Amino acid sequence: MGYILEGLGLNIVQALVLLAFAPLIAGIINKVKAFLQKRQGASVLQEYFDLRKWWKKPTILTPHTSVIFILAPVAYFVTSFLAASMVPGFLAGQVSISDAFVFVYILALGRFFMTLSSMDAATSFGGMGGSREIYISVLVEPAVMLAILINSLRYHSTTLSSMVIDYDGAYFTVSAALACVAFFLVILAENSRLPVDNPDTHLELTMIHEGMTLEYSGPLLTLIHLGSMLKIMVFLTLFGALYLPLAVPLAVKILFGAVLIGVVEILNNKMRLFKVRVYLGAAIVLLLLAIIAE
Amino acid sequence: MDVLLCSLLVFLLGTLTIVWPKRLELAAHYVGMLCAIVASGMTAFSGLRYLLMPNSALLIDAKWGSYSLIADGWSSVFLVITGVAGFFISIYALDYARGYLGSRIRALTGMWNLFLFSIVAVLISGDAFTFIVSWEIMALVSFLLVNHEAGKKETVSAAYQYMVMTHLGTAAILVAFYLLGSHSASFAFADMMHNQLDGVMRHIAFLCAFAGFALKSGLMPLHIWLPNAHPAAPSHVSALMSGVMLKVALYGFGRFAFQFIGMDVFWYGLLVTVVGLISAFLGVLYATMEVDMKRILAYSSVENMGIIFAVFGCGMVLMAMNLFPLAVVAFTAAMVHAFSHSLMKGLMFMSAGAVMHATGSKNIEKMGGLIKKMPYTAFFTLIGAMALSSLPFTSGLIGEWLVLQSFITLAQQAGSPELRLLVIFAFILLGLTGATALGCFVRLYGTAFLGCPRSQIVDKAHEQPFFMLLGMGIAAALVVIVGILPDPVVNIMQSIVAGPMTAPMGNPLGIIWGGSGRYAIYSPAIILAVTVLVTVFVAVSLLGSKKFERRDVTWNCGTYPTSRQQYSATGFSKPLRRAFGSILNPQRHTEYIRKEHDYFGRKLKVHLEIPDLFTEKLYKPVQTWMISSSSAFRHIQEGSVSLYIGYTMIAMICVLIWGVL
Repeated sequence: MGYILEGLGLNIVQALVLLAFAPLIAGIINKVKAFLQKRQGASVLQEYFDLRKWWKKPTILTPHTSVIFILAPVAYFVTSFLAASMVPGFLAGQVSISDAFVFVYILALGRFFMTLSSMDAATSFGGMGGSREIYISVLVEPAVMLAILINSLRYHSTTLSSMVIDYDGAYFTVSAALACVAFFLVILAENSRLPVDNPDTHLELTMIHEGMTLEYSGPLLTLIHLGSMLKIMVFLTLFGALYLPLAVPLAVKILFGAVLIGVVEILNNKMRLFKVRVYLGAAIVLLLLAIIAE
Repeated sequence: MDVLLCSLLVFLLGTLTIVWPKRLELAAHYVGMLCAIVASGMTAFSGLRYLLMPNSALLIDAKWGSYSLIADGWSSVFLVITGVAGFFISIYALDYARGYLGSRIRALTGMWNLFLFSIVAVLISGDAFTFIVSWEIMALVSFLLVNHEAGKKETVSAAYQYMVMTHLGTAAILVAFYLLGSHSASFAFADMMHNQLDGVMRHIAFLCAFAGFALKSGLMPLHIWLPNAHPAAPSHVSALMSGVMLKVALYGFGRFAFQFIGMDVFWYGLLVTVVGLISAFLGVLYATMEVDMKRILAYSSVENMGIIFAVFGCGMVLMAMNLFPLAVVAFTAAMVHAFSHSLMKGLMFMSAGAVMHATGSKNIEKMGGLIKKMPYTAFFTLIGAMALSSLPFTSGLIGEWLVLQSFITLAQQAGSPELRLLVIFAFILLGLTGATALGCFVRLYGTAFLGCPRSQIVDKAHEQPFFMLLGMGIAAALVVIVGILPDPVVNIMQSIVAGPMTAPMGNPLGIIWGGSGRYAIYSPAIILAVTVLVTVFVAVSLLGSKKFERRDVTWNCGTYPTSRQQYSATGFSKPLRRAFGSILNPQRHTEYIRKEHDYFGRKLKVHLEIPDLFTEKLYKPVQTWMISSSSAFRHIQEGSVSLYIGYTMIAMICVLIWGVL
């Protein structure tokens, strides 16, 4: 009992650290994109300022909304935070409350409430966003499951902390490389990045995640943005710790992942919604090959 | 006298309300339901007593000649499931079934007791004869219950479809019993355990048993009765059918697999897993396309029974590989998920009944904003929806997590390529199923309870009477309690499969599965603690920030939003319908009611239909073939007596010639 509580404390500290740096990573992604577009771009700290600005503004609620509408951003943020406390990260010796499947379903809890809230404001855009979010999550899920399967086959456990790349063994294998690419594709889809969703636009016809958050303002909006920044951070940490077969410190890997997202976003257009299944099909095929090569 | 036999008597006492005089209708209903509540409680109690003291003697071991009633561990698990679900659904029915006052409520209540009686009787049957008789009573009574609203045409056709299908299943089970019994000393289960059946006949017996029980539990492609029968029945009956009767099929299959046929043949488990997985995914996919609340839940039952059978098959495969210690997790998963499904599906059918009671409709496209009209029902339904999406802190994830761990365990043992392929296939389908289930219940809840009303039926909706809320509340509370403190349930289920000697998986912190090298752990209590901590912090800072200052209409590009602009349930599932269009094959008919110009002034009527894949591709061709072949025979059936006498003569002459030769 004692050791679990101690580990739990470390997990929470880690989540706080990830939370503190999450807006910075979001800022870095934006900076990379600006640099590649030959713009100066906003400061890497801009996201912090934005969050502060939103937090100070009042919340406007539409008349149809119920308690779910207020509950959803809280649930979304809390699940992102929980996920951040589960990933194998910087702190050594943490006791794992961090089962991979539980991780997946914790994030699903956040998605459940966000998509519900998208239907709560009784608008077309909200429902559109929620509907598409569900569609993409259905296509992503098999890839996530296979990604867990391949690592649990290699490390004989489904605990995230025991799935960390083992540099003592032969870690740079074909299988690891394939899984790495596939997981990166999953990250882009899970976090509503290009080419699956465009985080920069508010054009009704293309948006997914933004569609769901359209009715939010003030502190509730802050929670959602912070939650999704934290989610990217969590996935990049997971990418670095579990799938990126490079023997460098984790912080460097996260930075590398952030830069990579920026570069990929510059090089790609948003694809048609129904092309996404081809894209995620590719991720599944890569993972299949990885399992066969294992 | 034994508590379990007492409970059977009380159920029979409740059945007698059928013959009460009509002027005492309401009293008959209350007395009957009280009998059901008390007897269900006794059933649960006696099952639990056995489970908590597994070393004690058999619960019942009563013999009358060659007929016997025996309750062992495997029965007791299902006795508890029946008792618990029967208990809270009967409480719900105290108020719900009052809606049938004046329309044969005495029959409804009496049959309800008889239905529970027959389920318990199936579970404690000690020989094939008693089993089949109770099984048939169960089938007939449930047929009568489904057919209760016989005034409606679709109800009658659903009920008769159910009748035909369930008897096909019974026929298959009879064949299996016959094959087994004829190769053992008698038809008593104790003798059938030592049957001498082997070779092809054993395979046939297995296939028959599997087909029979798969039909009763609604696995594809034998599920077609289920999405029709559940919506046709009164809601408390659907709750009991889905929550309990489908599990009774698992009970029967488990008894065959564990005791009569054995699991040493590799492809038995493989077959069960594949059928289960396909049912799981297709079930939830069809559920996501439906707009009838109870049909959604019925297809979701197909999904969950699919998952349960898939993981049971996973255990059978592990048994065939002689890995009994590892197979334990799979069988435990199947039973925990069965228990959890009986709670959450019971809950959801009860809330569907509450919504029907309030609005008079099952069509979620006509609802919206019910959360404001019936907050308690909405809260309980939210818990049910979360559980069926297998989210944390509900019993849904306990089952789902164990299922996933079982398949990981199988993956780690999979040496041969075909087994590896099966595991990959399993994970792809489980992933698809899990995410689609979430989408399905977000869609159900979002359309029915959130947003603004889509038609006038919502305006007259009201909160439900006390006993309905109490029934739902008990189920919701159990879902959450099992979801947060799973260890008693998991340990009990495990001890039934593995015997009391193995190290239990559950402990106060959660479930630990250590069967495959390093351990895996899921501790909902700890995660809940962190969640509460963070949520309180966030809530306090939210309250400390600026208040919600204004309530104002949504920006709607300059126009005032109307309720028809919100997403409909059909629209919500459109991307999935299109992505899986090759399976679903949606049929859309557009009809122009008025068309003055190509681009404006049009009035359309769009009719969308998603025919069930197996009905179209399997049942309809068979039906066409049967009709055409019987019309071919019609030529020799002219109806004239002299012709038939002629046929008889020809037949006799043939027999005589054959005898001479």
